[in-house]
Amino acid sequence: MTSYGMVFDVKRCIGCNACTVACKQENSLPDGVFFTRTLSAETGEFPNVSRTYLPTICNHCEDAPCEKVCPSGATYTRDDGIVMVDGALCIGCGSCAVACPYDMRTQIDETQLTNGLFGDGNLTPFEEQGYSRFECGTFTKCDFCSERVDAGKDPACVATCPTDARVFGDLDNPDSKVSRLIRDRMGRQPLAEKNTRPKVFYID
Amino acid sequence: MANMSLKNTLRPGFVGRTFKSGYRFQRYWDTPMATAFFCGETGAGLFIVSMLVNFLPGIMLGLLITGVGKTFFHLSHMGVPSRAWRAILRPDRSWISRGLWGIIFFVGFGVIHVFGQLFAIVPEAFVMPVYWLSMAGAMMVVVYQGFAMSHSTAISLWSTGLMPVSSMLYGLLAGTTLVMALNAFGFAVADENQLALVGTVQIGLVVAVFLTIFSLLHGAKNGSKGAQQSYELLTKDFLSRAFIYGVIGIGTILPLLILMFAPVNFITTIAAAGSIMVGFCLFRVVIFKAGVMDPILTPADIFGR
Repeated sequence: MTSYGMVFDVKRCIGCNACTVACKQENSLPDGVFFTRTLSAETGEFPNVSRTYLPTICNHCEDAPCEKVCPSGATYTRDDGIVMVDGALCIGCGSCAVACPYDMRTQIDETQLTNGLFGDGNLTPFEEQGYSRFECGTFTKCDFCSERVDAGKDPACVATCPTDARVFGDLDNPDSKVSRLIRDRMGRQPLAEKNTRPKVFYID
Repeated sequence: MANMSLKNTLRPGFVGRTFKSGYRFQRYWDTPMATAFFCGETGAGLFIVSMLVNFLPGIMLGLLITGVGKTFFHLSHMGVPSRAWRAILRPDRSWISRGLWGIIFFVGFGVIHVFGQLFAIVPEAFVMPVYWLSMAGAMMVVVYQGFAMSHSTAISLWSTGLMPVSSMLYGLLAGTTLVMALNAFGFAVADENQLALVGTVQIGLVVAVFLTIFSLLHGAKNGSKGAQQSYELLTKDFLSRAFIYGVIGIGTILPLLILMFAPVNFITTIAAAGSIMVGFCLFRVVIFKAGVMDPILTPADIFGR
């Protein structure tokens, strides 16, 4: 059984946000909508200060709280473990967004779809084509670029990362790169105490 | 919403939608949702209390508040209101779904009960089943919102068993309060003994609500970092006035003093009712606004830096 997951190598991440841009391009995300973000955090005190970049994305949890609370059945998990949202079924109640400890849900509002990336109300051909997949009022999130995964490719953020800080693969395969990285370098899950069993791991 | 976002970014430790690691407010359930919850609990609570004392004006008002008020505010909150019916589809896993079924039972059988009372059109054999089905629906409505909130592990302030308890207590308190207020306005409860009992229960419920709020604060203060941030917001930050003076002062202490020490007359009954309802409404709004999500991750959390 396949169970897709991702590993973030924090040591390698340089905070360039190329992943963020690639994700926005691949998914035609409107202004203000991000499926992945690279957060920054400063630690230490002057002069011993360091900045760490922490990529974030939907964790496609095994015990996904967003799926459990969805009253319309719009959120579901594929056989390969990717948590999906069917926009045609979403009622926009927001219970998924309130339940997600990682704050990885975004509601699409009308202005985002009509103002355009330049904010003047004129949509570029790229936007006109891409925004057709979104519906005003519904919630959306990362789906690990499921179309690309189905075609045997890596998600756009992984394919773009210039430092290989993002690794995507099958967690159920003990010989996959993600499984080896998690095993060898003690991969840790974000907010593990929430018991959502996220399939995204961080290594340092 | 815009002001809220500004506060998010200005408050130390809070990051709003920026690319920083830190605390984030829940911003998806706002005032319309809080008002819908308020209407749901008030209407269902009033219905339950009125059914127990067979008080038809209260039964009808309770149905109206939930059936119209709650529905309106839920639809105004919802991103795609035309698909609202789909919320009935997953009662096996979602409290929102279960609650919607509760509303359907409550309003549906409640209306049949009212018609039965007014026009005696319900066959004798169905009177009690209709009564209990509507009561079961109302009981579901009065607690499910608390369960829906406590189900969210993302927001530590809400993720407690006290949420459904507070929902039920506040709902029943609003119910007893409105029965007393309606009685003061001339819609008399038939049985004087029952009215006196409702008055006594009302005082008990004010005390129970006060203790529940105190327990909620205690849990937040000693909870996770997100819950502690919520505690700070409620007691020291921009929500503190609304919470301390509004929810606790006007909502519990003032009505308790009025109900226990002031002579019972029209003015004191309405004053107590007004302060209780204001406190309850503020509680709903403030608890939503104080919902804080823990930092998604920090270097310290993950790598001990």
